[in-house]
Parts: sequence; C-alpha cells; structure tokens
Amino acid sequence: MTRLSRRSIAEYVANGLVKGDSKKELFSQLAAFLIDTGRTKELNLIVRDIEYFLAENGVVNATIISAYELTAETKKALEAFVKKETNANHVSLSSMVEPAVLGGVKISIPGREVDQTIARQLTVLKTRFKKV
Amino acid sequence: MTFLSQFASETTTVDKDLFAALGIDWRLLILQIIAFLILVVLLGKFVYPWLMKSVDERQAGIEEAAKATAAAQKAAEDNKAAVAELLTEARKQAAEIISTARLESAETLSASEKKAQKISEQIVANAHDQLDKDVANARKVLYNDTLELVGLATEKVIAKKLDKKADSELIAEAIKASS
Repeated sequence: MTRLSRRSIAEYVANGLVKGDSKKELFSQLAAFLIDTGRTKELNLIVRDIEYFLAENGVVNATIISAYELTAETKKALEAFVKKETNANHVSLSSMVEPAVLGGVKISIPGREVDQTIARQLTVLKTRFKKV
Repeated sequence: MTFLSQFASETTTVDKDLFAALGIDWRLLILQIIAFLILVVLLGKFVYPWLMKSVDERQAGIEEAAKATAAAQKAAEDNKAAVAELLTEARKQAAEIISTARLESAETLSASEKKAQKISEQIVANAHDQLDKDVANARKVLYNDTLELVGLATEKVIAKKLDKKADSELIAEAIKASS
C-alpha cells in the first residue's frame, strides 16, 4: 500500500470542504485514516495544510488571540481586515482569550501571523533595546 | 887600614864565635836550608799548581756567581720596571673598567627606571581601561535591568488599567496600523 503524502490528504479534505461535503463525514474519514495508518501525530500538520489549501480556495480560517472577549464590532473589523489581507471569499474567526497577551490582538492566518499584542510589544522593547 | 884588618880578623873570629854564641850549628843550618829548598821545590811542583787551580776554580765560581747575581739583579730591575709598567697598565685598565662599569650601571639604571616607568604607566592605563570596561558593563547591566523593570512595571500597570473597552480601541488601532 502506497503511503499517502500529508499534502494529498490535506488537499482531499480541503476540496471536500470547499465542495460542501459533510464536515462530520470528512473528519471521521480523516480520523479513521490517521488511526489506521498510525499517523495521528501528524494531525496538527495536516490541519495546517488543510487551512492552507482552504485559503488558496478563498476560505480562510483565522485564529484570533486577545486578552478580553472580542466585541461583535471588533470581530467584524477583524474579519474585514483578514478578508482584505488574504483576498478571501469567506473568513471564519476562531477567537481565544489569553490574559497573558495583556492587550491588543494576535491574528494567525495560514502562512502569516500578525501580532499586535502588548505582550509582544513589551518583549520587542526588552529585546530590541537590550544592550549585549 | 889597621882598623880594617883588625875588624876583619875580629869578624872572622866573631863569626865563628857568633854562630857558636847563638847556638846555631851552621852545618845543620845548611841542611835545613837544603831541606827547605827541597820542600819549596816539591810544593812548587805538586801542591802549588793544585792549590792555584782550586783557587782559580773558586775564583771562577765566585765570578760566575757574581755575574749571575748581577744578571739576576739586572733581571730583577728589568722585572721591576716591567712590573711597574704592568701595574700602571693594570691601574689604567682598572680605571677604565670602573669608569665603563659606572657608565653602564648608570645606563642600566636609567633603562630600568624607564622600563619601570613604562610598565607602571601600562599598568595604570590597563587599570583605567579595565575600570572603563567595568563602568560600561555596569551601565549596560543597569540599563538592561532598568529596561526589564520598566517592562515588568508596564505589564503590571497595563494589566490593571486596561479594560475591555480600551482593548477594543487598541485592537481597532492595531488593525488600522496593520492595514
């Protein structure tokens, strides 16, 4: 049996999602395949690749990390920002709250990351201006 | 004349009488003279040459010794002069050596002083450099610590002061800036 590449698996799942196949069925197939072939450790990488293929097809899944829950207005603005940046037709946001970022927002989209958090800025301040 | 004849006759008589009066036997005397002459001849022939030879040899030895003494004296005088000359030369050389040694010691002392001064200046310069480096390092450490503290303080202040509304505004600004 030929070993399927990660790219092929991701492409299959992404195409199915774009076509509008049942998500539940697709992900069940993927899970069964990974368990069967003993490649469950590659799950994160496959998900990343799926996101990448989806982005190529105009479907972007952006992960937003912030210190507080985002307001609807902010979410809308973020969605518009992601759309503009990726030229995507459809954007879905997955927001996470992490108080450690202190403030601001961190946007992760396939192949790119925009970190405008205060924690990041403070780290930059401490590292960039630190004398060696 | 009478007087002379009388004297001559008296003398002959007297001679005979004189030897007799003196107790000398003229025959014995003649014998003794002959023995003496024989002795003289024998001495002159056998003893005197040997004696003279010894005396001559002795004299030659003495003269030789005198010559040797004179030569030795002369040699001693010559040596004395040579020794005096050598001493003079030695004194001169000693004086030159002392003078050179003094000069060299003075030069060595001067060189040592210069070297010591140079080393001390180098030590001072190194100490200054080290001090400057230490100060620079201390400043750097202080700066970095201050930066760290400022960061920490800012984190604390922001964590307390930033609310949801301010965060939303901040996000809006960030989006605007990133666009």
